[in-house]
Amino acid sequence: MRPTRWLPLALPLALALAPAAAWAADAPAVPWWVWPLGLFAVTFLLGIVAVLGGVGGGVLFVPIVGGFFPFHLDFVRGAGLLLALSGALSAGPGLLRSGLASLRLAMPLALVGSITSILGAVAGLALPVPVVQTTLGFLILAIAALMWRSKRTERPEVPVPDPLGAALGMHGIFHDGSTREDVDWRVHRTPLGFALFAGIGFMAGMFGLGAGWANVPVLNLVMGVPLRVSVSTSGFLLSVIDTSAAWVYVNRGALLPMLVVPSILGVMLGARIGGRLVQTVRAATIRKVVVSLMLVAGTRALAKGLGIWS
Amino acid sequence: MYADWLDTGTKIGFVALVVTFFIHVFGLVPPGIALEHLPLYWHLPVADFIRMTGAPTGWAWVARLGEADLLNFIGVAILGLVTVVCYLRVLPLFVRGRNRVFVAICVAEVLVLLAAALHLVGAGH
Repeated sequence: MRPTRWLPLALPLALALAPAAAWAADAPAVPWWVWPLGLFAVTFLLGIVAVLGGVGGGVLFVPIVGGFFPFHLDFVRGAGLLLALSGALSAGPGLLRSGLASLRLAMPLALVGSITSILGAVAGLALPVPVVQTTLGFLILAIAALMWRSKRTERPEVPVPDPLGAALGMHGIFHDGSTREDVDWRVHRTPLGFALFAGIGFMAGMFGLGAGWANVPVLNLVMGVPLRVSVSTSGFLLSVIDTSAAWVYVNRGALLPMLVVPSILGVMLGARIGGRLVQTVRAATIRKVVVSLMLVAGTRALAKGLGIWS
Repeated sequence: MYADWLDTGTKIGFVALVVTFFIHVFGLVPPGIALEHLPLYWHLPVADFIRMTGAPTGWAWVARLGEADLLNFIGVAILGLVTVVCYLRVLPLFVRGRNRVFVAICVAEVLVLLAAALHLVGAGH
């Protein structure tokens, strides 16, 4: 049997059991350096999976580290935002230079998202932790279901652009390297897009998830932006939306370098390895891994929030 | 232009983050909270963590850069300000192009990010 068949089951179990076992063994008795090393190892794996699965690191990081490591959720959410921000910032220059990311598309949406992400961060830090943990659990399970069922469209049909999108200049041309064509694109349902980005920003700030999991479906499926432009523009949007929310956490003191730096290094290194494996690993297998991870992490967050497994 | 500034700012931020982290971990500068004591506090909500450890909020860390754990904030601050700098860099292009809508969007975004960065919003517990 091919080893990749076991990956969807083995990886979530390994991620779940290793730190949980150490924690169960009495966390304060564990030397401090075990935790950054453990974080580095886990986030390295998450970095690989996140790249292969096409999701931002934050959506996996917060429920997994929040559920299975001893750090308080306040610090984990702050770290999740900085993690997503780091990934977006490092990918940003390449995406902008490629001509695929559109500033005209991103800037108006980023403004709405960054305002609501601040509100989300404030709300998230004000609410009782069990409420945030339980809501996070439901949200992660919902995202897993969405990822399992959603279909993306390479070039959505936009018969008539809406007036707001046209007024904001949300259109362009990109060069499709695979077909060697120049493709015209434009948007529709822009008011709905703004409303959805307000919600995405709020959730990104509240749960520290970043927003990559939601940016692409909204741009692609709702607003009719071609998939490549959506993915590239999403990176730029993340860098703005997560910056504003991250500042709320940093200014409140929810910044623990011992949690943040090993995680950023682990995800960055993992992402580089993941980038090399993209051509060799089956997309269906990776989708199963990501969804399995989210099911384990979402269930753990839910159980922790409801006091069933604390 | 935005990409070039983003690239440079991000690289500087990452280098600062990694260098200050290793200064912290290898004990080259004494920390505010001893590394071996950290596990006693990091499971606490942030308000309790601050009360127990005296960790700073807002920009109070700038006055305490002699503490290794707060040195790490330099890299985070750079990464958090890169986007503001990039927006300020492209603002003149929109002004020159007389694109009033995008000038307004650009200015509004800078104000939102600065309000968050300067702790003008989201303060309190």
